[in-house]
Amino acid sequence: MASLILEIGSRGLHHYQPLDNRVTTIGRALDNDVILSDPTVAPHHAQIIRHDDDRLEIVNLAEVNQTRVDRRRVDRLVTSTLPLALEIGRVQLQLLSRDQQVAATRPLAGNGRRSHLFGNAWWAVLLVLACLLVGGLDFYQSAYNSFKWSDLIKYVLRETVVTLGIFVLAMSILERLLVNRWEIRQLVTAIALTYLIYCATLQLAGLLDYLFSATWPGTLLYFGWYLVAMPAAIALYLIHISHFRQGRGILLAILIASPVAVPGLLQSPRLHTLFDDFSSAARYHNSLSSLNLHLDRRISIDEFLAAARDLEPGEFAD
Amino acid sequence: MLRILVAVCLTAGFAAPPVLALDSSAIFEMHQDHVLQIRVLNRETGKKSSIGSGFIVGDGRQIATNYHVIGRVILEPEIFYISYLGKDGRRGELKLIGLDVAHDLALLGAEQPLGEPIKSSPLPHLGEPIFAMGNPLDLGLTIAVGTNGGILNQTDDSRILFSGSLNPGMSGGPTFNRDGEVIGINVATARNNISFIVPSRFLAELVEKAATESFDSTEDLRLEVSHQVLAYENHYIEQLLAANWPDLELRQFTLPGIISPTVRCWDNSARLSASAHYHRLQIRCSNQNQVYLDEDNKFVGNLVYEYYWLETSELNAIQFYNLYEYLNKDQIDSKQDRDIVSNFNCETWFVEVAKQEFKTNLCRREYVDYQGMSDVLFTAALTGYEDRGFFVTLTMTGVDYAATLPLIRKFLEQVQWRP
Repeated sequence: MASLILEIGSRGLHHYQPLDNRVTTIGRALDNDVILSDPTVAPHHAQIIRHDDDRLEIVNLAEVNQTRVDRRRVDRLVTSTLPLALEIGRVQLQLLSRDQQVAATRPLAGNGRRSHLFGNAWWAVLLVLACLLVGGLDFYQSAYNSFKWSDLIKYVLRETVVTLGIFVLAMSILERLLVNRWEIRQLVTAIALTYLIYCATLQLAGLLDYLFSATWPGTLLYFGWYLVAMPAAIALYLIHISHFRQGRGILLAILIASPVAVPGLLQSPRLHTLFDDFSSAARYHNSLSSLNLHLDRRISIDEFLAAARDLEPGEFAD
Repeated sequence: MLRILVAVCLTAGFAAPPVLALDSSAIFEMHQDHVLQIRVLNRETGKKSSIGSGFIVGDGRQIATNYHVIGRVILEPEIFYISYLGKDGRRGELKLIGLDVAHDLALLGAEQPLGEPIKSSPLPHLGEPIFAMGNPLDLGLTIAVGTNGGILNQTDDSRILFSGSLNPGMSGGPTFNRDGEVIGINVATARNNISFIVPSRFLAELVEKAATESFDSTEDLRLEVSHQVLAYENHYIEQLLAANWPDLELRQFTLPGIISPTVRCWDNSARLSASAHYHRLQIRCSNQNQVYLDEDNKFVGNLVYEYYWLETSELNAIQFYNLYEYLNKDQIDSKQDRDIVSNFNCETWFVEVAKQEFKTNLCRREYVDYQGMSDVLFTAALTGYEDRGFFVTLTMTGVDYAATLPLIRKFLEQVQWRP
């Protein structure tokens, strides 16, 4: 007889039960060989009988929540096909051969090196400090009227600490629910890193707008952040740090990013500029930069007025 | 001081009736049948949509009023028509036979002669009493007494200052001198006892024009309104171009100052808190000769230019540019709805002015109902300095776009920079 093992699905790590007996009983009662403490499982729910010719017989014993094999309800099924997916109540099980190949080992981030960004709690601390510094700098650079340390602390608490805190809390709850693990260190590192990239993106958007004398570079960057970069960052985290399968990781990333991206985009004046078919205000490029880097060359008054002759009025709204 | 003034007035009122009251009573008696209520009525309901006043001129079948009293008929002639109502109850339909939009005048024609036309006269001496008649708030014919404050040159000579009280419904009514001759037409009020009259010479020109030129009131009158407004604005811009503009000094810049008698400049520098790390100077100049367009579009003909100077010795370059960019934002005054104007189309150029680089924007939008009429916004912000900034905005409404470009050229060419 081939050597068999029963995989019992659960959040986080699955459980594995070798099947050495000829008859294995599954149910909630404590006299079973495999005990499943789930309320949807009957006291004596199913039997797995191993025949000498390597055939397997699955027998349903439950009156409620009948046993399913490969999604089909069965009373009695004889088969020699492995692996075999069983549903006992709402518990997912798989009947596997011990010879079955397992997937390749996923390496830890940075192969577990302590110097790696996700391999050391100090990186998380350092990145959080960098976020606080960026938040403080943001306040300081906008404080052209007056500067008070108490205002700076309030701003950093409100803008940086709360933002990071909400994301860390939400993601760690999700992670706990999905994979039954806490990975706070990696999570803080990932969220702080994402926050820093977001701050850099905003700065870059202003510089690019000025460089091109247009709003499209900043708008592109802004939309690219919410629609591509942020979901991609979450997906990379889920796939490489939380070791989700690729498809599942991407889908989850989109679901996680949506509650942030949708309000972020809806509140953006850039979105309104793109989709409003009318504005009473003149939306000209008012961006100014101390670096004064621009691609448009400097022209004379004559050249300016010659070009201005061709300026058409804007479109009429529908 | 206010109390003393009130007491004096009361004493004067009870002790000796003013001489003016006798004059106004006689004038009222003399002209009560020549001044009519002008009503814009809805064809379906027959009810009043708006009211004003008018008076008999020309050949006795013509009535003068304000353009803004009957402006609604221009936009929606299929819904509204014009009618008159006399003090004695006579009434009838009127048709439009002449327009002077720039001076807010309209000439209406009746089927039958309505009475003796009122004789007009030049403006009396400054400070002399004058008398405005009309139908305020649909309460009946009345007369308001005030004095002649003279022609206002800041309104392109098209307004007389009247120190009497004009109220809604009196628009289009006549203003008389002591002899009962028309010296102007009631048009607007600013606040208590600051009112404005259109000089009667513009009405005389309109009556003469109506006698010599045909006026087709069945055509799309919005075209006529556009032509008149644009002709007036083009003439105004030509006057600006022909004038020598005085200089205005603002830190390192010499700039166009008061470019026309119609323009007034005010210091608009914001009061900054003691802890502010920058200094800001702001001068705003604007003209006073606005043109009434219609009930939706209200007024056009604004010319506004505003200068901002910013400097700091305490802010770093990034802080300063955050402030500079924040202030360099949409400055247009004339907010309009989507069914009235198009969107603005703006373009950006980096232009050398007075050997300095400016980031300039030029924006243009058009009016839905008025062909060829545009609002124009020009802005220019100084670049290249970490501790100082300067920007100018120039706004013109209801103008021919092409005509504004020479004005922008003259504006920029007058700018000078002192290193």
